[in-house]
Amino acid sequence: MSRRSTGRLAGRAILLLAAFSAVFPAFWTALNAFKNRVDIVTPTPLFIFTPTLDNFAYVLGRDSVFDGLFNSLVTSGAAVLIGAVLGLPAAYAIARHPHRWSKDIQFFVLSLRFLPPVAVAIPLMVIWLQLELYDTRLSLIITYTLLTLATVVWLSVPAFARVPKEVEEAARVDGYGPYAIFFLIALPIASRSLIGAVAFAFVLVWNEFLIALMLTTSDAKTLPIVASELTQLGRDVPWGILNASVVLLSIPPLLFIGVLSGMLNSAFKRKSS
Amino acid sequence: MKNKSTLPWVFLTPAMVVLAVLALVPTVCAIVISFEDRELSRPDGNFVGFDNYLALFSDRRFVNAITVSLSWEVITVGFTMLIAVGLGILLFECVSPRTRKILALLFIVPVVLPRVSAAFVWKFAFHPLYGIATYPYKAITGQPLDLLSNPLTALGTVALVDVWQWGLFFSVIVLKLLETLPPQPFEAARLDHARTWEVYTYVALPMLKAPLISLAFVKMIESLRAFDLIYVMTRGGPGISTETLDMYAFSQGFIESGRISYASGMAVLMMIATSLAFTVIWKRAKI
Repeated sequence: MSRRSTGRLAGRAILLLAAFSAVFPAFWTALNAFKNRVDIVTPTPLFIFTPTLDNFAYVLGRDSVFDGLFNSLVTSGAAVLIGAVLGLPAAYAIARHPHRWSKDIQFFVLSLRFLPPVAVAIPLMVIWLQLELYDTRLSLIITYTLLTLATVVWLSVPAFARVPKEVEEAARVDGYGPYAIFFLIALPIASRSLIGAVAFAFVLVWNEFLIALMLTTSDAKTLPIVASELTQLGRDVPWGILNASVVLLSIPPLLFIGVLSGMLNSAFKRKSS
Repeated sequence: MKNKSTLPWVFLTPAMVVLAVLALVPTVCAIVISFEDRELSRPDGNFVGFDNYLALFSDRRFVNAITVSLSWEVITVGFTMLIAVGLGILLFECVSPRTRKILALLFIVPVVLPRVSAAFVWKFAFHPLYGIATYPYKAITGQPLDLLSNPLTALGTVALVDVWQWGLFFSVIVLKLLETLPPQPFEAARLDHARTWEVYTYVALPMLKAPLISLAFVKMIESLRAFDLIYVMTRGGPGISTETLDMYAFSQGFIESGRISYASGMAVLMMIATSLAFTVIWKRAKI
């Protein structure tokens, strides 16, 4: 028995260490974002210092960061919106009206999620250059729609499949048409999982880097690109500003973490039942 | 459901048309470009057949990129799965369901972070002079430790960040998988005086073999997108020691020579590899 409890104690210690490693790097970055440069460039790491908001003020005051934030919000937002408007009905049709192509359609949709970004970005760059849409928000939105639409369809099919069939049957008996059932019954019942799917699609394109790097040069640059450019600066690196811009970039995905973990839970509950 | 509703067509057609156009046009275009000699500075190209592909196989940097990509795959997939299974079991075994929930939430923080952020966070942590991860070494030996500029350690250091993001996340998935298992086999094994590690090695993990293999395949495909981390942390350096396939395709197509067609050839090869791996997963998951 005592052997067992020592093992358990050791296991807990490892878990604690893992949890520390999961959170501490991000916490340290956030801390550094509130430091003056002299407090960052120290031989020993400093935990106690006079906090400053200069870094955030500088980052938010810079046109490039502000434009990047704007571009990220517009392109991610629009692509997610289009993905949801087209993808949710499509997912419902796949889940509720199966026919012989349903499996092939799901295979096709999911395979898109795994397409190497570099293989998409190179030809699209040529295409957008020829259409004179290169480095525009429009071309980035269209490209990102490929990602958001595929993701929304992929994650929403199981969400709609979990809506009890009996509820939809009852609605049909009450005289609801198929469209009314979708909008008034299925959509509200599945809404919690669907919000998770849409949030996941948003995080995916918000974090996207390679495609944005290849398809934009100045006007349509998104926040990850702007932040990565800051990290490549030369000798006198403004570390505080860098940390602040990384924090800014990471806030939106972290806001969704509760929704995403809820989605994870419901996805595995289905299997057990 | 024997209704002749228009709904499936009305709902499915727009999404599928959009997806098909957005996916097939670039794919076909990538294949066409890879048979040409296009460059960024010249808009038109001539058909050159398999020249780009033939050139690739006598290109030492390409061979190097394949080696780096393969090592990257092995390191990141291997360690991610090890950590996922190890921590997943510990989560299942050692803590109460309440603590489990909190830890699970903390463990998905790294994977939700944008990769650019994760890359920067660790690049700074590994900074030889001011980094917090290299500080203990510096304090003890008095020497700075520069892992990212050493060709021997650079790839492993970047891989650490990838494993940090995915290993912790997958451990939560392994936990959820363990939670879905029926409790009877566990109890039976315990009654037979099986030790804890024996319960997992001989009972639990074999029961989860199929989902764990699928998970490893997903990670394999995900690992093909090493680009963001490598671009921010090392840019393929020092030298070409961390230059993966997508990094090399990018630098051929954009930074150095603008050889779009050549880069496209590499992209097509990557696409073929990914499609093969993906088809295997799909078949496994369904049968």
